[in-house]
Parts: sequence; structure tokens; C-alpha cells
Amino acid sequence: MKTIQRENLLKIFIYLFLIGWAIFALFPVYWMLTTSFKPKLDVFLGPKYFPWIDFKPVAKWWWKVFTVEREEVVLPLINSIIVATTSSLITTLLGTMAAYALTRFTFKLGPMGNRDILLWIVSQRMMPPIVVALGIFIMFRLANLLDTRIGMMLIYIAFNLPIAVWMMRNFLSQIPPSAEEAAMVEGASRAQIFWWILIPMTLPSLAATFLLCFIFAWNEFLFALILTFDRARTVPILIASQHFQRGPQWWDISVLSTIAIAPVLIIALSLQRYFVKGLIPIGK
Amino acid sequence: MKNFLFYFTGKRAGRAFLIPCAFILLTLTIFPFLFSLGLTFGKVSLTGGLAIRFIGLKNWSRLFADERFWNALSNTLFIVAIAVPLEYALGLALALALNTKIRGRTVFRVVFLVPMMLTPIAVGYMWRMLFNISRGPVNHILPGLGLPPVGWLTTTGVVLYSIIITDIWHWTPFVFLILFAGLQSIPPDLTEAARIDGASNLQLFRYVTFPLLIPASLAAILLRAMETFKIIDEIYIMTGGGPGLSSESMTLFGYSLGLRAFDLAYGATIAFSLFITVLIISIAFFSITKGFQEITFE
Repeated sequence: MKTIQRENLLKIFIYLFLIGWAIFALFPVYWMLTTSFKPKLDVFLGPKYFPWIDFKPVAKWWWKVFTVEREEVVLPLINSIIVATTSSLITTLLGTMAAYALTRFTFKLGPMGNRDILLWIVSQRMMPPIVVALGIFIMFRLANLLDTRIGMMLIYIAFNLPIAVWMMRNFLSQIPPSAEEAAMVEGASRAQIFWWILIPMTLPSLAATFLLCFIFAWNEFLFALILTFDRARTVPILIASQHFQRGPQWWDISVLSTIAIAPVLIIALSLQRYFVKGLIPIGK
Repeated sequence: MKNFLFYFTGKRAGRAFLIPCAFILLTLTIFPFLFSLGLTFGKVSLTGGLAIRFIGLKNWSRLFADERFWNALSNTLFIVAIAVPLEYALGLALALALNTKIRGRTVFRVVFLVPMMLTPIAVGYMWRMLFNISRGPVNHILPGLGLPPVGWLTTTGVVLYSIIITDIWHWTPFVFLILFAGLQSIPPDLTEAARIDGASNLQLFRYVTFPLLIPASLAAILLRAMETFKIIDEIYIMTGGGPGLSSESMTLFGYSLGLRAFDLAYGATIAFSLFITVLIISIAFFSITKGFQEITFE
């Protein structure tokens, strides 16, 4: 009897903890979303919590962003979509190729073997970006890549490759080589095996890798801040500049921030199953 | 096309698969890295072309005499030292709580993952609104609990804690995700066997679950520490490094001097001092946790 009571007490405690954290996790997002619908006065006259109860929601800020401010908003949005999508696709492909090489071939680079090459690639991600950012700034200036989409794509490919290689290596090393061996006996080349056997077999893992790269590229700030000014500005730069341009117009900032977080959130939540699966090799 | 594909089909196909990746990393990380290292011994002028003059260790001696550097370094170390252990503890608690037989597991898991996906700049604005001294809900709720309102972003001794709270909110989900994945990969027969032997919840955790989670834990702590050392986005939005310089991080300091004051060489020196700090700490981390790393990176 007593143990059952204790078990129940523990269960209640666990629920309270989980629900408490869920509220904590969602409240800031809720606050931003509601602020984007608040009339000016309700923002300035102190915290208002519930639409229709303590303030009357208005859609005019959203309307404004898509009409009056369209010019200013559309270009960064297009830049972000193009740069994040293209760079993540290329990263996933190149990362998978490298992972394939590291799991199916034996390399000898002086004293370095496969494992050292892998560690070398992964360790690139550990470096603080500001260390390379200033060097890249000068290189891009000399190569006329400053403030271009191509430049930003290159940066995000390099920035995400270590993650892509690491994740795909974990997936590929779990795939038994029997299908590949069978194809090899049939006379298929490595390229054919890679493209027609491995890629179809690893689609969920590729999706997880692509998603992670996309999130990083979409959210990235420091490189975009240093390497873009005008034509190639991305969404984080657009939002960050709001406050300095026109003061704390929280309703506008909230609309833009919601636009920035929405795509990632929608894609990620619909694919979140792959997400947990994709990271399981870390726990091993 | 056929000629190009040949490289992927011959005996040396392995190289062809690896080279694109290695080439990009060499040109866009290794080369700029060495270039930045070179900058720390020079002075750059960008007026008409590029001119770098060698000035020896002057940047470095300037750095060590710079009070702003020590301030930024101690701010960054403080944020890492407080935020990472708390993120680990909370992430572990959440993962353990969600690994029990309760209802709504999927919903909780999805909700918990939300913050880590959000654009850091947007997160900075969220918390700037929440922490607003007169109009933010945090200071609206505090008096209700009998506490005085706090100048979260305007008081020198407080502002770092506000940034730590934001970082905990933003990144505990990441620790949770790794540890939860780790818990899921523990074979259930193991815990069942311990149960049959009469282990209590606490004993089960102490002798079975926790030891098996050590590799995942080390990976989570290391990755979080590395990322927290780089912090800039949220600070840039929430305080801009202020009030005064009381919340300036190393990356923000390097950016401000390197690209706002346009002293690229000194900015690179600051960045390299951050790199060296991170390097020392990760080497220390690896030597302290020796014996576990084999499992972590396998």
C-alpha cells in the first residue's frame, strides 16, 4: 500500500515538473506571437496576457509587413530561403560522400588513418567562428564575394559539413555491406552503388541531416553580420537591424521574428521523429 | 560526363568521394584559420587593396594589458561555468522524467524541443521583452510573489544572470535530446534485471542508468560548453554588451574591435585568445574524462 502511494506521489511530482517546464518552454514563444497582434497602447501600458480578455488583437502589423514594408522584407526572406536550402542540399550530398568514403575505404595519409581524418573534420566545428570570420572577411573582399548569396552558401556549406559527415558516418556504418557487395559482384561501380543503393536506403537519415543543416544555416547570425550588408542580407540580420533603425517597435519586431521562426518550427516539428532517431548514435 | 565519372569508378574511387569535402574545409576553414593567425602578428590596412605590416607581438601585448579583454574573458567563462552545469542538470532531470511510463510523452517531447530550433536573434528579442523593466511580464509577476522588481537588463550585477537564464531556456532542450536518446538506447532487459534483483529507483539510477549515460553526458557537456563559449547573438540583441561592458562576451568583443572599430588584426588576436581558451579547456576536459572518450566518439 505504502509503496503504491509513494509511486503515485512521485508520478504527480513528475507531471508537475514536466508541465511546469512545458509552460516555461512555450511562454516566450506565446509572448512573441501575442505581441505581434497587440495594439501599440497595450504593449506600452504594461503586460497584457490574453487576447480578447485583456487586449483586443489586431492584425494590422502583419498587414503592414506584407504591404508597406514588403520591399524591405522580401529580399532577405528570399536570400535566406535560397542560401539555406541550397547550402544544406550540397552539404548533405558532400557530407554523405565523405562519410561513404570514410566507412567503405581505408585511407592512409602519412600517419593519419580514417579515424584521424574523421576527427579532423569534426573538430572544425569546435572552432569559434569569430576565429575564421575575420580571415574570411578579407578573403571574400579580395575575391569579391562579400555581400553575395554564393559567398554565404560557401560559408554555410563549410560550417555544416562537419556535422553532416559525422551524422552520416554514424548512419552508414550501421548499414550492413551485403547489398553493396551483391551489386559489386554484378559489376556495379562505386558511383552507381552510392547513388542507386545507398542514397535510397538512407533517405530518413539524409532528411535528418538536411534538416539540421537547414536549421543552422537559417538561424546563423555572426557570419551573415560580418559578410553581408545589403543585397545578400538574411532574415536574422533583417530582424537584428530593426531595433537600431526605428527603436523598440515591439509589434513589428514580433511579426518579423515570428516569420523567422515559423518555417523551421513547422518543418522540424513535422519531422521531429527523425530528429531523435538521427541523434541516437551520439548516445551509443 | 563519362570522364568525370571515371574518377568515381576506378580503384581510387574513395579519394574522389572524400576530396570535395576536404577541399572545402581546407579553403574555408583551415586557410582562413592560418590567415587569421598571421593577422595577429600584423597590422592591416584596407584602404586601396590590402596591406599587412608585420608588427611582431604588439597585438598580443596590447591584449594582455587590455582591461576590456579580461572583462570579456571573465564574462564568457562565468556564463559557461554557470549555464552549462545547470543545462546538464535540468536536461538530465527532464530526460529521466520523460523516460517513465506517463501519458503524453510525445507531446512533451515535441514541446521540449521547440526552443532549440528558434533563431537566436528572435530568442534575444523574446527575452528582452520578457525582462523589460516596466512592461515585461517577469517584473509584473515578481511583486505578486512578494519580490521587488529587478532591472534584469540594466543592472550590472544582474545582467549576466539574465543571459544565463536565456541560454538555459534556449539550450537545455539540446542536452535533453541527447540524454533522452541515450536513455532510449539502454536495453530494457538491463533495467528489468536490476528491478527483479530488488533495486530501488535511486539504486537503479546510481548503478545502472547513470553509468550507461556517461558517454552521452560527456558529449552533451562538451558540445554545450563549446557552443556557449561562442555566445554573441542573444547578447547582441538583449544588451549589446551593456550596461557599460558588463555583459560583453569574447565573440562580441572581437567583432566590435575587429569590424566596428575596423582593427582587423586586433580583432583576430581577440578571436585567437578565445580559440586558445577553448582549446585549453577541451584538452583539460579530455584528460579529466580519459577512459570515457573512447566510448563517446565511437
